Amino acid sequence: MSTLTDRIAQDFASSAPVLQGGGQAAVLGRRRALDALEAKGLPSSRDENWKYANLRSLERARFVPAPPVETLPAAAELPPALPGIARYVFVDGHFAPAASAALRAGVVSRTVQAGDGATMADERFALLNQAFATDGLIIEVDETHARPLQLEVLFVASAVAENGGSYPRLEVRLHPRAQLTLIERHLSATPAGSFITSAVEVEAAAGAHLEHYRLQELNARSILFDTLSARLAAEAVYRLHLIGTGAQSARSTLALRLAGERAELSLAVATLGARQQVQDTYAVVEHAVANARTAQTFRGIAADRARVAFNGKIIVLPGAHGTDSRQSLRGLLAGPEAEIDVRPQLEIYNDDVRCSHGATAGKLDDAMLFYLLSRGLDRATAQRLLKWAFLEDVISQVTLAPLRRQIEERLAGQLHDEALRELL
Amino acid sequence: MGERESSMLSIKGLSVTVDGKPIINGLNLEVGAGEVHAIMGPNGSGKSTLAYVLAGRPGYTVTAGTVHYLGQDLLALPPEERARRGLFLGFQYPVEIPGVNNVYLLKAAVNAVRTVHGLPEVDAFDFLGLVREKMKLMHMEDSFLSRAVNEGFSGGEKKRNEILQMLVLEPRLAILDETDSGLDIDALKVVAAGVNSQRAPDRSCVLVTHYQRLLEYVVPDYVHVLVRGRIARSGDRTLALELERRGYDFIAGEAA
Repeated sequence: MSTLTDRIAQDFASSAPVLQGGGQAAVLGRRRALDALEAKGLPSSRDENWKYANLRSLERARFVPAPPVETLPAAAELPPALPGIARYVFVDGHFAPAASAALRAGVVSRTVQAGDGATMADERFALLNQAFATDGLIIEVDETHARPLQLEVLFVASAVAENGGSYPRLEVRLHPRAQLTLIERHLSATPAGSFITSAVEVEAAAGAHLEHYRLQELNARSILFDTLSARLAAEAVYRLHLIGTGAQSARSTLALRLAGERAELSLAVATLGARQQVQDTYAVVEHAVANARTAQTFRGIAADRARVAFNGKIIVLPGAHGTDSRQSLRGLLAGPEAEIDVRPQLEIYNDDVRCSHGATAGKLDDAMLFYLLSRGLDRATAQRLLKWAFLEDVISQVTLAPLRRQIEERLAGQLHDEALRELL
Repeated sequence: MGERESSMLSIKGLSVTVDGKPIINGLNLEVGAGEVHAIMGPNGSGKSTLAYVLAGRPGYTVTAGTVHYLGQDLLALPPEERARRGLFLGFQYPVEIPGVNNVYLLKAAVNAVRTVHGLPEVDAFDFLGLVREKMKLMHMEDSFLSRAVNEGFSGGEKKRNEILQMLVLEPRLAILDETDSGLDIDALKVVAAGVNSQRAPDRSCVLVTHYQRLLEYVVPDYVHVLVRGRIARSGDRTLALELERRGYDFIAGEAA
């Protein structure tokens, strides 16, 4: 057993008093998650799928759940509310009803009832979440909702990692033909370097439609490990947008399973790394049945000494005839010491499929740069504009206008360009 | 008026290589203020190379000769500085830039020029009015305003967009690289009207073209024929008509 798992077990034992919620079943579930984690061990950088993640950052983390805060962050410190969209706020993993909209039919916050444990590969951080999470938000939508439901969940980090971790948890269950737009945000309320291990589970029944935006805007000292697993039934549509600009180190592990025929998955990811940030995304998409579709778009920019990685693996199982998968993965090196790792992987176990992939990692397009220079724009402005343009394939998929504006402002800020705001 | 004062562009003994291969070989050209010059020539004669070298595109090595623009050493200036001093290149293949709005680019370009002249940035509202007016001249639809630079434009739309940029920027010297290629006759007339509207005593234009068709609508003061990287013959517009009749071979034969 490694020292790290030792420490986790010790922290688990010492957290027992705060991990009593949810009754006997929950307590047992947490124990099971811990046991599974102990058996598997946390990944190391020797693991093929973890070599880009900054696992060293775990050394300074304390795993006990951070205590609830005494004062909630003021509304002014949070992103502006989006019109007509109910907001739910969690601080360091604890539900903050005072800062949230009223819970309603289909939206329940409750003590985590740990489930059967993570099942797909490389969900070890989800186990960590299950062992330590206290509160979680459960969203259950059925087709009786007259209009597509729109919700925003804010996971605010404020505790310093040395004082404990934050374990945000979200479970989304869409009944047949239910529709939901979900905005999930991770942000910091203090300058503290927080340690966050979040887990999201999505279950979309036949014909359900989920538009899921995840914005990762943590401060530059925080560490995030998140795991998202989703299962799509027949004709379910899941459009997942990940926009990552924050954190010192962020690793996203996505396990997405197309389990029903004609299910459709769209994964659009934009990550920006600067300074010494590490942004690592690992996505496994499993086509288990016939005629399902996947489209993956990744655009990553690494500046300064940042490292940005995207590893997109698509597995087409033997019965999955007529699979259609497309990967367009592009990385942009914006600094001589920056690093981009873009890797498409295909594992195909039948013949009748259409799988295309393109992956590039490079510098700004010379033809575009010259075009802008020939119009008198100075080189620095032209380069920033082109970085902006590079992200367009992902940003243009954000159909919720006020959210798109917030995302663009955030990106403009990350690209250090006030002038870019004019574009908005 | 002395030669220097009226000189817009003066090219002397220019030689250019691309990847070590000579493309332009000792080219001389004088363009005076207010003049329109057409540069014609067969494919591979160096027409586009000349246009790119003047605009400052990387990848072209000047091995000999000088280029003066308004009395300044043009080759010493980076491309953005050339543009700010009033040199404009209309691209043969305008570049698509998804995510960058047309109007934003136009405004940034105009402000870049204004900064050089110590002028304040344009008023956004007035500017939009000016752009709309020029768009009307180019028969462009309003939707253009909200689109990204050349993204999804047809070939003709891209060329009209180049001319629109020229109309808004009002350059001293416009170099139009095969702006006529790929245009149908109606689009050609629109483009020609745009170019003609720019003719003025203090402004010059170099039209690079393969065919003489455009020259029916934009009548040049001089026509030059480029063969193997140098000007093989110069004349007035009748030279273009002769080329149309006899093809480039007769000049290529003479120049050999």
